[in-house]
Amino acid sequence: MFGLIEKDLRLTLVRKQTLFIFLAMALIMGQSMEGEFLVGYLTMFAVLVAIGTTSYDEFDNGFAFLMTLPFDRKTYVREKYLFCLMMAAAAWCFGIVLYVIGTGIRHSAISLTGQLPMLLGIIPTVLISACVMIPLQLKFGMEKSRMILFALFGFIVVMTAAWKKVMDNGPALPDALPPAAVLLSLTAAFLLLALASYRWSVRIMEKKEF
Amino acid sequence: MVKIEKLVKAYGDFRLDLSMEIKDGTVTGIVGKNGAGKSTVIRAILGLIRPDSGQITINGKELSRLSEAEKARVGAALSDSGFSSYLRVEDIVCILRKMYPVFDERFFRSQCTSLRLPFDRKIKELSAGMRAKLRVLVAISHRAGLLILDEPTAGLDAEARNDILDLLRQVMIDNDRCSILLTSHISSDLEGLCDEIYLLHDGKIVLHEDTDILLSNYAVLKVREENYETLDKRYLLSTKKESYGYLCFTNEKQFYAENYPGLVMEKGKIDDLILMM
Repeated sequence: MFGLIEKDLRLTLVRKQTLFIFLAMALIMGQSMEGEFLVGYLTMFAVLVAIGTTSYDEFDNGFAFLMTLPFDRKTYVREKYLFCLMMAAAAWCFGIVLYVIGTGIRHSAISLTGQLPMLLGIIPTVLISACVMIPLQLKFGMEKSRMILFALFGFIVVMTAAWKKVMDNGPALPDALPPAAVLLSLTAAFLLLALASYRWSVRIMEKKEF
Repeated sequence: MVKIEKLVKAYGDFRLDLSMEIKDGTVTGIVGKNGAGKSTVIRAILGLIRPDSGQITINGKELSRLSEAEKARVGAALSDSGFSSYLRVEDIVCILRKMYPVFDERFFRSQCTSLRLPFDRKIKELSAGMRAKLRVLVAISHRAGLLILDEPTAGLDAEARNDILDLLRQVMIDNDRCSILLTSHISSDLEGLCDEIYLLHDGKIVLHEDTDILLSNYAVLKVREENYETLDKRYLLSTKKESYGYLCFTNEKQFYAENYPGLVMEKGKIDDLILMM
């Protein structure tokens, strides 16, 4: 497992220039944007980079050699989820630091405690998308999974718009849920989806031949 | 060490169907034409493909039940796959250090230096020979008890081939209990290295012999048309019609040498084996 994490960290650093550009953009945004956007942007970017390591593994028939190394396919999948979680957590912390520094520079007051549930909610939200992307990437590879992902997000956008239209014309709903309840719901949704996604990914990998 | 029992794997018209054994401390070679099934055997032993039937065991343990520690005792080099080509040699050192409980970093680094593998270059920037050396070096640097090498010298010049063969000879000297299975198209590589040879044809083993016996007892006979009729054919393994008469392959060189003194006879080589079987 440690060897796999080391490999993924080093594959991540292969994209040093891209990372640098995105971090520079984050620094600039930190000066002007709202905290939620900055932290969300960084966390999502980190997860995309983490998932991108799978395409390096797949490139040039690399999976065949990787699977001869001393771990089983379940461990490979587990490491991918763990690596996404690590990257998301690291990027989230970095985003928070940037946000606090940016706010300090602008001399504006922030209440992190008040915003914390919302900021924390970014992690399960971003990881939910990782739970969709990882099995797709393992099953269909880089190119095909990207197409499927576009189609999936398109479908979600259409469904959301349709749902909004229905709700606008429907009966009024009670006031919005408190942030802590939203955070708990998101975390519960993430945990359930992560379990299902992990099982699906393991099945995909165990069926694969190289 | 490795036992393959009634392994069957079919891909369309192709069907691999064989049993074989790699004994402790031996170097076993698999030869055969392209598409004979050499790489399929290697991939089956490494658990990269699921056999349709049959069983593969390593040290008496079924492949799927090997623990991580037991898997760490297997070193593999595949001809068409390796670490991501975007990684540097130095990255690989760091990965192997964490991947294997016993990684001989000093050996790896010293071999990289003597084989002129630059630590700071990405794998994709290395020549084909350098990449092949690196693949073998990765396989042998963690004190593996079983090495499985698919075409480790394919497509390389004589110098790079020699470097790789020297690495393997060094492994055999350092660890006489290490078993090696390798496939190759280059017969001289196998003749100089292997204790046993398996010849694969259309997914089946058509010959299994000790290399010493192969080189001492097997021969190619060049027989004129008029002499062919009277030739004792009991010990001929295969015969091919040629312009001058017949080209015959035998595993009883001595018999023909004693009974047909005028017969043109050439020492049997693995290449002849592939061509004649």
